[in-house]
Amino acid sequence: MSKPHYDREHHVKKATGIGDPQCFKGEAGPPKFKVGDKVRVRDLPDIFYSRTQVYTRGAEATVAELVYESPAPEDEAWDNTENVVWFYSLIFKQKDLWPDYPDAFANDTLETELPERWLEPL
Amino acid sequence: MSSSVRHKVMKHLEIVKQLQPSLHYETHAPAPDQIDNEHYRAYTRMSHDVGGEPDVPITWEEKEEEVWEHNTFVTCEVLAWRGVWNAEERRRRQNVDVGQTQYLGLPYYGRWLLTAARILVDKQYITVTELSDKIDEVRKRYE
Repeated sequence: MSKPHYDREHHVKKATGIGDPQCFKGEAGPPKFKVGDKVRVRDLPDIFYSRTQVYTRGAEATVAELVYESPAPEDEAWDNTENVVWFYSLIFKQKDLWPDYPDAFANDTLETELPERWLEPL
Repeated sequence: MSSSVRHKVMKHLEIVKQLQPSLHYETHAPAPDQIDNEHYRAYTRMSHDVGGEPDVPITWEEKEEEVWEHNTFVTCEVLAWRGVWNAEERRRRQNVDVGQTQYLGLPYYGRWLLTAARILVDKQYITVTELSDKIDEVRKRYE
């Protein structure tokens, strides 16, 4: 059996002198959500790799910013860079994430970034 | 030589006894019908997704990075410049592929270093026999 061939340099060639994720700019197409939109985090199967924290699944959030375009971490982690998606900075209420969060801090929020494939409109 | 190796082996087994899987059950080889969907999800949880796990406060210590830590960081960056991996593949291997015991048990740059060796083996730049022989050779310099 011959050794597998890995295309070892396409990512670094694409990013050199531009930066990552800047090198994926313009590849994600029109964004599905805009600043201020309410979204819910999908509970997709997380097999092998993901950066979507389980504690956010099913929770509501507000889009604070469209931050950049990039392959989702679960694709990029195997150097699959063809499917570029928008990343959103999202604001959650801490009370929505943690049932025991004290009422005295009911206005506390948590902000984190997630790729578009993990979000559905509310 | 042999007695010192046996001493190391016994010490190793003492530490291994203290390591436990993250869920404590009497059996570690369950029948398929003993694993429901909730337990499957718990077992396959990404080790870097620590949000919601119980922990205790730790003391903040200001500490400079050590030379081997800088060297490890530079090695990993050079592997990226040469296209061996990208940052996300590095994080996957360092933070998830290592499993929960190593993720929580090894120093931060220890995981970087272990993973740098692993990627070179996985993508067939070096073989495990070459790596093992080299580690053995270097180790002998310090005996």
